[in-house]
Amino acid sequence: MILLVAAAVVLLAGAGLALVLRDNVHRGWSSIAAQAVASVLVLAAVVPTLVRGGDLRYRIAWSYPVESIALHLDPLGAFFLAWSLPMTLLGTVYALGYLRPYFRTRNSGVQFALLDVIALSFLMVYTVESAFAFLLGWEIAAVSAWLLVVWDYRNQKIRFAGFNYLVSTHIGLFFLLAAFTLLYSQTGSMDFQSFAAFLQRPSRLRSIAYVLLVTSFGLKSAFFPFHTWLPRAHSAAPAHVSALMSGVIHKAGLFGLLRFTLLLGEPEAWMGWALIGFSALSAVVGVLYTTAQRDLKRLLGYSSTENVGIAGMGFGIGTLGLAWHQPALVALGFTGGILHVLNHALFKCLLFYAAGAVYRSTHCVDLERLGGLARRLPWTAGFFLLGALAISALPPFNGFVSELLVYAGLFDPSVPAGIPRAVLVAVAAVLAFVGGVSALAMTRAFGVTFLGSPRDARIHCEGEVSPLLRIPMAVHAAGVVLLGLVPAVGLAIVDGPARLFRARVPAAAPDAVLEPARALAPIGGIALLLLAVVGALLLVRRRLAAGAPARRHVTWGCGYTAPTARIQYTGASFSAQFADLFYAVLTADRRERLPEGPFPEKVGQLSVHHVDAVEKRMFEVMGEGEALVNQLAARLPRAPGVSIGAGLVALSVMVALLLAGAGGAR
Amino acid sequence: MTALLVALHLAALLGLPFLLVGIVNRTKALWAGRKGPRLLQAFSDFRRLLRKRPVYSEVTTAIFRVGPLVVLASTIVSALLAPVLGRFAPISFHYDFVAVAYLWGLGRMAMMLGALDTGSSFEGMGASREATYSALVEPALFLALGTLAAATGHATFAELVGAGARGAAPAIVPLACAVALFVVLQVEAARVPVDDPTTHLELTMIHEVMILDHSGPELAALQYASALKMTICAGIVAAVLNPLSAADGPLLVAAVNVALVLGVAVAVGFVESLVARLRLAAVPTYVFVAVVSGLVALLATAGWQGGAR
Repeated sequence: MILLVAAAVVLLAGAGLALVLRDNVHRGWSSIAAQAVASVLVLAAVVPTLVRGGDLRYRIAWSYPVESIALHLDPLGAFFLAWSLPMTLLGTVYALGYLRPYFRTRNSGVQFALLDVIALSFLMVYTVESAFAFLLGWEIAAVSAWLLVVWDYRNQKIRFAGFNYLVSTHIGLFFLLAAFTLLYSQTGSMDFQSFAAFLQRPSRLRSIAYVLLVTSFGLKSAFFPFHTWLPRAHSAAPAHVSALMSGVIHKAGLFGLLRFTLLLGEPEAWMGWALIGFSALSAVVGVLYTTAQRDLKRLLGYSSTENVGIAGMGFGIGTLGLAWHQPALVALGFTGGILHVLNHALFKCLLFYAAGAVYRSTHCVDLERLGGLARRLPWTAGFFLLGALAISALPPFNGFVSELLVYAGLFDPSVPAGIPRAVLVAVAAVLAFVGGVSALAMTRAFGVTFLGSPRDARIHCEGEVSPLLRIPMAVHAAGVVLLGLVPAVGLAIVDGPARLFRARVPAAAPDAVLEPARALAPIGGIALLLLAVVGALLLVRRRLAAGAPARRHVTWGCGYTAPTARIQYTGASFSAQFADLFYAVLTADRRERLPEGPFPEKVGQLSVHHVDAVEKRMFEVMGEGEALVNQLAARLPRAPGVSIGAGLVALSVMVALLLAGAGGAR
Repeated sequence: MTALLVALHLAALLGLPFLLVGIVNRTKALWAGRKGPRLLQAFSDFRRLLRKRPVYSEVTTAIFRVGPLVVLASTIVSALLAPVLGRFAPISFHYDFVAVAYLWGLGRMAMMLGALDTGSSFEGMGASREATYSALVEPALFLALGTLAAATGHATFAELVGAGARGAAPAIVPLACAVALFVVLQVEAARVPVDDPTTHLELTMIHEVMILDHSGPELAALQYASALKMTICAGIVAAVLNPLSAADGPLLVAAVNVALVLGVAVAVGFVESLVARLRLAAVPTYVFVAVVSGLVALLATAGWQGGAR
C-alpha cells in the first residue's frame, strides 16, 4: 500500500515539475517520467493482489471534513489500476508527439501536468473506501478532463463542447451526491463498508439508491440517453484526450457500477433486467449514431456508448445470476463484461490515436474530404484497420473474445425456461444487430478515409506521423492481437475481479465457475486456424502467380471513361440507405439549394448532417430547437443558463426521490 | 466413424458448392425451357480463372489482393464448424454458431473493403447495400439459432440444428426457424429476391458489383467462397428439416441431409424462376419476414417451455 502512496507523491511531483520547467519538451518528459515511475510502483502493488486475491487496507489521517481516508485495494480496484495508469502513460507519450507543432507558440505544461493529475485521480477513485474521498477523486478526474478538452480554448465551439461536458458531468455528480446523502442518512457514516451493511437488505430506499447510482455512473460512462455531451467533447478534444476519456477515464463509471454491485450483496432480479435493458438500448442507439457521422472522432465517440452498453449487458447478466443464484451466469456475465472493458480500452485508444494521426497529417477529420490515405499513411492505416476489425468484434481479435462470453451468458441453459430465456435470446439477437451495424460503420470509416482516391485536392497529406505517435499505437495493437489470439491471457487478467463476484454465489456444481474458460478454450485455436488458412492460401496464391506478373490498369468504370475522384462513394452515400431506415434516431439536418431551370445561374449546394436526436429533442422541448445550440454557444461566457435549468431539474428530481424514499422508510 | 465423417464433410465442402450452383442454374434453365449449362460448369469456370493473369486497378492497395483470400479462409473455417452433414461438424464447441456468424462477418468486411479499395462508385454502392442488408439479417440468424438452442438445450451448432425437427419442441419451432434460415441463405448467398447473381446491370446488384474489379485467382477465391457459403446455409436449413433422429445412424443422417441440401438448391432455383428481384427499398421488409419468423419460433418456444414447467 505504501507503493500506491509513493506513486501518488511521484505523480504530484511530476505535475509540479511539468508546470515549472521552462521548455515544453522537458515538461512533457517530466510528466512521462513521473507516470512511468508511478506505473511501475502501481503495478508492483496491484499485481500480487490481482494474482493472489486478498485485500490491502490503509488509513490516512486527514483534516476536517474528510477526517480519514480509508484506502482499500481489492482485485477489482487492482484490475482497473493495472491498465489505467500504463495507458495514461502511453497517452502522454502520444501527447508529446501530437502537441509538438504547438510547442513554439503554446505553453503545454498545464496539459502535461493534468495528464499526471488524471493518473492521480485513478489512484484515488479505484482505492478509496470513503464516499468523501471518492467524490474528491471523481471531481478531480472530471475537472481535469474538462481542462484537457478545452486545450484549444480560443475556439468558441470547443469552449462550448467543454462547457457542455462540464455541465453534464456535474448533473451526474448530483445523482451521486444524492445517492451518497441517502446512504449517509441511513447509516450515519461515509464509509463504503457501512453502506454495504445497509445495502445488503432489500428495501425501497436501497432500490432508490441503486437507481440513483446507475444513473450517475451511466452518465459518467455515456450510456444512452445521457450521452449527449460525448460526441461534442470527443470531437473537440485533442486526440490523446479523446482516447483517454473514452478508453480509460470514463471507465470509472463502470467501475462504480461494479463496486456498488459488490456492496449490494444479493441484488434483486429487476436490477439485472433494468441494467440489461438500459445497456441494450445504449448499444443499439450508440451504434446507430456511429453509422452516419462524418467527423471521424465524433463517430468513435458514439461507439463508446455502444461498447459500454455491451459491457453493461455482461454486468446485467451477472447481476441476474447473483439474483437467481446461478454461478455460471455470474461467471460468464461479469467475466465477459469486465474483459470487454479492458478490450474496449485497448482498441478504442488505438482508433482515436489513429484518427489523431490522420488529423496531424492532414489537418482534417471530415470523412467526406479524405480518401486514399492508406498509401500515404501505411502504418496509421494498418493500425486503424486492426482497431476497426477488433471493435466490430471480428475474430481473430480481442473484441470477439469478450462478446462471445456475453453471448454465452445470454444463451446459458441455467436461465429459467420460458419468458426469461426468450427475452435473453432476443437480447442476443439485438447484440448481433449491433455487431452487424458496427461492421457497417467501421467499414465505412476505414474505407472512406483510407481507401480509394483522395476526394479533396485541397487536403494536403504530410506523410507518416512521428514514432512518438506510432509507438503507443503499436503497443495497443499488440494488446489487441495478443488478447485475441490467446484468450487465456485476458481471462487470467480479469480472473481477480471476476472471482470477487463468483464468491457471492456458492457454486453447487464446482465446474460452473470454469464456464468462461470452457467457452473460450477453442477460440484461440480457431483464431490460429484462421491465420494458418490465410497463410496457406497466400502461399498457394504466390505459386499461381509465379508464371506471369499481374497487370495494372485503371478501375473498371462500367464504360464511363471520364471518372473523377469526386464521383466515388462517400461516407454519406454509404450510410444513406441504412440511415433512412432508422430516421427516428438518425435525424438528418438537410440544407439544400437546388439549381433551378435548364440553365441554372446560381450554383446549387447540399449539405446533410446527422444531429443527435436526443440533444435536438431536448433543446426543442426547451422551446427553441436546434438554433438554441448556436445561440447558446454565442453567448456562452455571460449566461450559462442551461446549467441552472438542468441543475434545477436534477435537484427537483432528487428532492422528489428523497421525499418518496423518506415516505417509504416511514 | 468420426474419421469417416470428417472425410465425408471435407468431400462435401469440396464438391457440393459447385454442384449446388449448377443445380440452381439447371433448375432455372429447365423452368425457362432452356437446356442450361453443364452441372459442373462452375467448377470449370473456377479452374479457368485460376490460370488467368489478374489485372489490378492502379488505385488499389494490398487489401484488394489479400481481401479475397481472407474471405475464402474465413468461409473455409466457418465451414468446418457448420453441420453441413446434419448432425456432425469436424470442429464443435459451445456457442460455435456465434463464431460462424462472426467469421462470416470478417469475410464480409474483407470483401467490402476490397470493393471500396477500387474507388469505384459502383462497388461502393454494392458494399453499402451488403453492409445494410447483412446488418438487418443478423438478428434473424441469431433468433433462429438461439431459439433452437433454447428449445433443445444444446449449445453446439451440430447438436442444436441436428435435433431440430425431431426434438420435443412443437413443429412450428423448426419450421419457423427453417423459414428464417432460408431467408438468411438468400441474403448471405446473394440470391433472388434479394440480389440477382445473373444480371449485368451494375446499378441493381449487390454481391456481383462488389467483385467487378476482381479477376483471375482472386475472383476464383471469391466465387468459391460464395458457393461454399450457400452450401453451409443450405446444409443448416436441411439439418433443421431433417426428419431422421440420432438413432438412425450418422451415415444415413448424412445421406438424407445431402439429398435435402440438393432439394434446398432446387427450391432456391424455383424461387429465382418464379419471383423477380425485389426493389432495393423493399428488401428490408423481406428481411424483416425472417426476423418475425425467428420471433414466432422464439415465442412458441417460450410458451411451450413456460407451459411445460
